[in-house]
Formats: sequence, C-alpha cells, structure tokens
Amino acid sequence: MESIINPLVLYLVCALGALALALALPRRNDKLAIVGGVVLAITLGLAALGLTSAAKSSGQDTPNLFFYIFAIIALGSSARVITHPRPVYSALYFILSIIASAGLYVLLSAEFMAFALVIIYAGAILITYLFVIMLATQQPTEASKQILDETDAVAREPILASAIGFVMLAVLTSAMFNGLSDLRAPKGMDTAQDSVLVQLPRKVDRILHRAGVINDDERVARADDGTALLDIANRTIVVENEDLGTTRVLEPDQWPDTLTAGNLDRLGYNLMHDHPMTIEIAGVILLMAMLGATVLARKHIELEDELKAAQARKLGPSLTLPPRRKSASQGGDA
Amino acid sequence: MNHMIDLITPLQLAFPEAVGNATLAHYLFVSAAMFVMGLVGFMTRRNMIVMFLCTELMFQGAGLALIAFGRHHLGADGQTFVIFVLCVAAAEAAMALALVVLLFRHRETLSSQAWKELNG
Repeated sequence: MESIINPLVLYLVCALGALALALALPRRNDKLAIVGGVVLAITLGLAALGLTSAAKSSGQDTPNLFFYIFAIIALGSSARVITHPRPVYSALYFILSIIASAGLYVLLSAEFMAFALVIIYAGAILITYLFVIMLATQQPTEASKQILDETDAVAREPILASAIGFVMLAVLTSAMFNGLSDLRAPKGMDTAQDSVLVQLPRKVDRILHRAGVINDDERVARADDGTALLDIANRTIVVENEDLGTTRVLEPDQWPDTLTAGNLDRLGYNLMHDHPMTIEIAGVILLMAMLGATVLARKHIELEDELKAAQARKLGPSLTLPPRRKSASQGGDA
Repeated sequence: MNHMIDLITPLQLAFPEAVGNATLAHYLFVSAAMFVMGLVGFMTRRNMIVMFLCTELMFQGAGLALIAFGRHHLGADGQTFVIFVLCVAAAEAAMALALVVLLFRHRETLSSQAWKELNG
C-alpha cells in the first residue's frame, strides 16, 4: 500500500521532536531549554507541512486551517506540560491542551464530548490537581521562592526517554499513514445519524407537532416493536390518527428541517441502549474511587490516653455494649 | 442541507474551505504525539503530581483517537467510550491525588525518588 506521507519527513519529524524534548526537559542549564523550544517549533511546523502534503495527496487541495491551529496548540502545550519546571504551570498548560483538544472534538463533530471535556477535565479534574499542588507543598521560605526544588528542576534520563518515546511515535505513525482512508463527508453522517430517529418515536412526534406538519390528534405510526415508521433514505413519514384508525404518508417535501438527530441524541441512545451495563460499572468505579480517596487521605490523629478516655466518656451512652447474658446461657444448659 | 454542527456554521460561512475535514491519519498523528509526550513526561519527570498529569495527557491522546475512529465509522461508540475514559480518569485522579497527599505527609516531599526503596 502506498504511504500517504513521505516516510523520510515522518522520521525526521520524530527525530527532531525527540531532540527538542530532550533539550527542553528541565535541567540546570536554562539556555538549552530555549534551544529545545525553537527546535520544537520547527518540528511542529515541519509536521504541519508534512500533514498538509498528506492532505493534498488524498485529494484535498485546501489546508484545513482549524485542524492545524488546534493541533499545534494542543501539541505545543502538551510539550510545555512536561517541560515546565513548576507543577502549577504544568497544570495550567494542561488546561490549554484540553481546550485545544475540545476544539479538535468539535471538528470531529463530537460537540457534546467537547463541552463535557472542558467541564469535566478543565473544570473539575484539573482544579483538583491545582488544589493538591497547593496542599502538598512546603511553606516557602524567602530563599526558596526563587530556587526550584531539585525534583522539579532536573529531569531523569531525558535523552533516553525521549528517544524511546519517539521511536514509538515513529512506529505508530508509519503504521497508520499507510493507506488509511479519508474521513467520510459529513453528508453521509446525516442519514447515518438520522437513523436513530426510528428508535425515538416520541421525539419525532414532538418535532412534527412543533413544526406544524401534523394535527394535534395525529402521531407517527409505530411498528409492532415500537419503532417509528420513518423512511430515512426516501424522507417519507407514515402518520396515523389513533382515534379514527387512519394513516397517511407525508411526502419528502413535508419533512421538516428540524427533524434530525443531533450528536446528543445519537450519543445518548448509544450510551443507554448499547452500553447500559457499562454505566453501572462506571458508577461502581466512581463510588470505589470516592471511598478509596477518603480512606487514603484521612488524617490519623494521635490522641493521648486521657483524651481517648474523655472522648469515650462523651460518646458513652451511645456506645454501651450489650449486657452479657452469662446466666441465661447457663440456664439454657441446665 | 447540512444540519451537522450549529456551532461551526458561522465559521463555515466565513471560511468555507477552512473546516473541511482532515484525514483520519491527521487526528491519529496528533493523538499519538500527545500520548508519546505523556509517556516521555511520565518517564522523565520526578514530581509525582506532574507524573500523574502526564497520565492524564495519555488519556487525552487515547480519547482523541477514540473520537477520531468513531467519526471515521460514523457511529457514536467512540464518544461513548470517551465518556467511560473520562470516568476512569476522574476516578484515577481522585485516588492518585489522595495517594500523593498521603505520601507527602510521610516524607514532606513530592519526589518519586523518596520512595525508591519501596519493595514488596
């Protein structure tokens, strides 16, 4: 199979990226980090050029501007996450990378996941990280404000790690650039996503009523298994009047523009219909994580014996042991 | 008529060519590069919080690949999986951060080197 992108460009990008990261990872010499940043910028530019030519060879003449903007922001800030010596800035750059990936999600027509990503990741998880960064740091002294902790300032084995990582990237990408097809046009997606509507007769009822296409006493005809009688490909709808028992067929020109299944409809249907058990498991995982985090992070308070006794006396009435029934058991034996 | 992305519509009017789709391989390249950066960061950085941030970066890369493949097959399965990836990432973040706080209380440092003599 013919390779879409020139393998030489690909390997050059990987080698340069490894060099850039090896230089930019934190170390005592700050100047090397600047060099690393420059090399990284060159690498990203080269990768963008290589990918543009890949898009051209697959028949797309125009560069996909938004993809490149979001991809460069995402990769650049990811690089900064792992190269910035201060953890707080790493977390902030990670938020930037999340937002850029949310942009990529929108381009992939996964709008719901894009917003969920910003809310859950950037809003919730990363704020937790920031809290822990604030919690788990020593009180800074005047001297230590300027000097970084040894742990943060020097990376461990930067050259070896970036070499290994980018060999992996080269292998992964050279496999994936071998003749993978173009993303199908969104037009095909319309009919694919509208097929969910067959499963959602009440939503179709609501939309048709709102569009004023059918009368108040009419509704979409249901098949025996409860699915709506829609012909997605030919755009015809069977409408029934339950009281009179009559049916009629709406022609394609009466199909309202609003009768379409969005990203959320498809996602919700897929989640609830195809993966119901997984939701239960996810709930259990989250519950266990909550319990585990509470148990792990609680503080063990050492109390003196007297304090313990005082606490016990305070809790006394509710903690009285059940009376021993020695005599009763003896009586039973007798 | 394209009822696909309401959010993009004004952009599409302004730059009709700019929101055309890149190929699947483009997105997979970005996702692989993100994953590898997370991997390199996890291997090199010595601050435990940054190490866990790098695992989140790897989750990101995997999520992008899932969404791109889901788009390629025009189905919603990829997005459903990303929901579960997010769920696992949230659980992992809660546990990992609790662990980091616990370890910090013992040694007063976030360095992973402080725990290198751990053995089973």
